[in-house]
Amino acid sequence: MGSLSIGPLIQLGYSSCRLPSNRTRKPIAIRADGSPTSKDQQDQLNVSVLRFTFGIPGLDETYLPRWIGYGFGSLLLLNHFAGSDSSTTSAQLRTEGLGLSLAAFSVALPYFGRFLKGATRVDQVALPEGTQQIFVMSPTISDSEKEEFAWGSYVLLRNTNTVAVLISIQGELCVRGYWNVPYDNGTAKAPILDWFQRQIENIGLGDLKDVLYFPQVPGSELWEMLPNGTRSLLVVPVLQSRDGSGIEMIKNRGFVILASNMEYAYTEKDRAWIRAIANKFRVQLTVCPRLERFFGQFGPHLLMGGPARERQIYIIHSSRTSGRKLK
Amino acid sequence: MRGSMEAGTLLRGAIYWSFSSHSQRHLLQRARLRRDVLASSSNPQLQKSYQGPKPKRDLVPDWVSNNDSTARSLPIYVGGASLVAVLVNRAVSGIAPVADASSSQSRADLLALGLAVTSILTGLVWLTIKPKSISVVNPLGVECRMISSSHLPDPLIAELLWAWESLSSVTCCRCLVVVYDGTCILQIGVAAESPDGEAQAVDAARLTEGSVYQGVMKSGSQSYLANLSLYPGRSELPFLPSNTQAVILQPLGDKGIVIIGGDMIRGFTTADQAWITYLGEKLDATIAKHTISGTPLKIQDRV
Repeated sequence: MGSLSIGPLIQLGYSSCRLPSNRTRKPIAIRADGSPTSKDQQDQLNVSVLRFTFGIPGLDETYLPRWIGYGFGSLLLLNHFAGSDSSTTSAQLRTEGLGLSLAAFSVALPYFGRFLKGATRVDQVALPEGTQQIFVMSPTISDSEKEEFAWGSYVLLRNTNTVAVLISIQGELCVRGYWNVPYDNGTAKAPILDWFQRQIENIGLGDLKDVLYFPQVPGSELWEMLPNGTRSLLVVPVLQSRDGSGIEMIKNRGFVILASNMEYAYTEKDRAWIRAIANKFRVQLTVCPRLERFFGQFGPHLLMGGPARERQIYIIHSSRTSGRKLK
Repeated sequence: MRGSMEAGTLLRGAIYWSFSSHSQRHLLQRARLRRDVLASSSNPQLQKSYQGPKPKRDLVPDWVSNNDSTARSLPIYVGGASLVAVLVNRAVSGIAPVADASSSQSRADLLALGLAVTSILTGLVWLTIKPKSISVVNPLGVECRMISSSHLPDPLIAELLWAWESLSSVTCCRCLVVVYDGTCILQIGVAAESPDGEAQAVDAARLTEGSVYQGVMKSGSQSYLANLSLYPGRSELPFLPSNTQAVILQPLGDKGIVIIGGDMIRGFTTADQAWITYLGEKLDATIAKHTISGTPLKIQDRV
């Protein structure tokens, strides 16, 4: 990483991937570093960054325009009220008006800058206070599904800015992370699971068709079960398209709830990957259908298999008859 | 095998899915149950639909994300315009263009100038952190969908297909090869064209002896070749399209490797790399679980 210091103010250099370095290593709410070496990071990003920095560790210079805006704005006001000997001229009023609007613009600049591509997040992330960490799964699921849920929840917690994850597939729950449960540590799993089930029914997520993304949680208490300090919320439904009697129906098979204590926690790419993980649960459903369940509740739809299986069956035909388009 | 070809997809070569009789049974059941489906009632469980707050559209973040280049140069224009405005104001008002702090007018002017300069500098910083836009290079080759062996259990096949779908839709991945225990168990996406016009098959034995594979196995961690044309070991991956731009090599434990080819230089972000690491671990666990009896994953006769 080459760097050329020209005085204390401007550092010109090739920056490595700007992973937030001032976060202490908390067990769950961090972003995984992956395993690339610093040379790989340099090759990947290859972005030369002119960074204006005082070189003081812990000071985030992204917010410098905001401080300058506040400082100069207050100086302008001070000048207006205390600095003039005679009455203010119109020219001065014009200048001051321009100065104040510029100050307001400077204050807003870091907020705009956050949404640009390539912007890095250096928010401090604190784990929610007063909530306990839980990990419960419905007892009525098979071992392979347990593994899937465990892996899925682990990956979601480690790789995204998530503190709490809830996976519900066909009524089976897997809850992991910091949730606001009104039970003490050490109560049995059954009442906790029932409580979550009731919460979910009250909210009415069983019929969800769209992804819900709240980058800034409205109000202080959106849902009771969310941990304190939740700032972003993402709900991804797990859908399965059924081709029943000529009409394509999209049925909701479950959903995944992710809560984070950072605002704007999930970027476009994060959401794409989370959708992929949610698809994994859907694929799992179709591969291991439980006979006693689908005849009872969902009818014989599941026997037809999911999209992956349908495609496979389609291919048998296509490879034997004509080379039709596979996808 | 060489039937009609649809525009846009060249489907050649030995493309087969091998299935056990298990799936044949499913085919028959599907045909039989179609009648039952029409007769059966809909889902008896009535789910309450979601009536909570819907996320409102955030205008500012959306606008900034969509008009990236405009947003980046906006502070410069604002700062420059204000600079000019302050000077014009001074000139028009008949004040001498001298930058002294004696009068309150001058002080106010100086402060406004300072703010304008801050805005300009922020705009410059934003411009320099603009990521270089890299264009997609379409891989030259032949579409290929190949799974080896007729005895791979369904969960494993489903997982491999899920991995391919996820990678191809989320990242810039255009080809995926999974080699485990000396056999290529999956080759999907675009493959290089072999001399006889079909997809170039993966010579797993040769790959396993090559330096690329050995290097990845020795380090035990992911290797990201961000610009494949600069990499001398390129010749050991002849099954990838010749103009593959980036490759990720992810080891599966100590017995296998996943080779992911992308169509953009540095197309895989750090987030992608992290996700692919976890994906690799999951695939390793699943493959190990399903071959625990020691059944070799050798290529059987084609269906």
